[in-house]
Amino acid sequence: MGKQMTEMLKGTLEGIVLAILAGQPAYGYEITARLREQGFTDIAEGTIYALLVRIEQRGLVDVEKVPSEKGPPRKVYSLNARGRGELDEFWKTWSFLAERIEHLHGDNDTGTGTN
Amino acid sequence: MAAKWIEALTGSLEQKKQYRQYKARIEALPEPYREAAKAFDRYFMYYGGITDGDTLVTMLGDFADLFERAAVDGTPVTDLIGDDPVEFAETFTQSYGGTRWIDKERARLSKAIGDIEKKEQP
Repeated sequence: MGKQMTEMLKGTLEGIVLAILAGQPAYGYEITARLREQGFTDIAEGTIYALLVRIEQRGLVDVEKVPSEKGPPRKVYSLNARGRGELDEFWKTWSFLAERIEHLHGDNDTGTGTN
Repeated sequence: MAAKWIEALTGSLEQKKQYRQYKARIEALPEPYREAAKAFDRYFMYYGGITDGDTLVTMLGDFADLFERAAVDGTPVTDLIGDDPVEFAETFTQSYGGTRWIDKERARLSKAIGDIEKKEQP
């Protein structure tokens, strides 16, 4: 993954994970797998784990420990009311940013005559 | 060394017990997870700066969970951590909101600049 992509994803990954959890509860590995299906192929499982820890600390998700046949219990994360509020906020911010950036993009295109 | 450090830091016997359990869990990991986890453990001691024992043992317990899970699932260490171990270690540590040694300095900096702002206002 390119450096620029990594940097840009950093600011949006939390929203992306909240959006995935809005669909249905999941544990860390499932979230990583779903992100990979969506084309985010280079995201490390540990990155998602750290992010889940952070959103848990901020009270955006509820956590249930589900025993597994081998190894420690799996922590299943589900979006709670606060998390849904945060996700709404993320989409609003995203739309605003996307619109402004697209606007700049359009201006630049006119300037350089490309595209 | 780290064990002495945490005992000086945390008064609680329960926390000490949890810390010993964490150490044992890391030691019990198969290779190469053990070696990788120990490398992170060392870095946490330098970087973490979490001065609140409860937060620290919670963080370390979660960290042990992550590595035990990966060892059971056979997730390669590189898939687990990504291509920047320092980035991972720091993001992971920062995810725990406990009191840090830097907090005191942050408050001091904010106050110093706040005082200047007050003076600058006519």
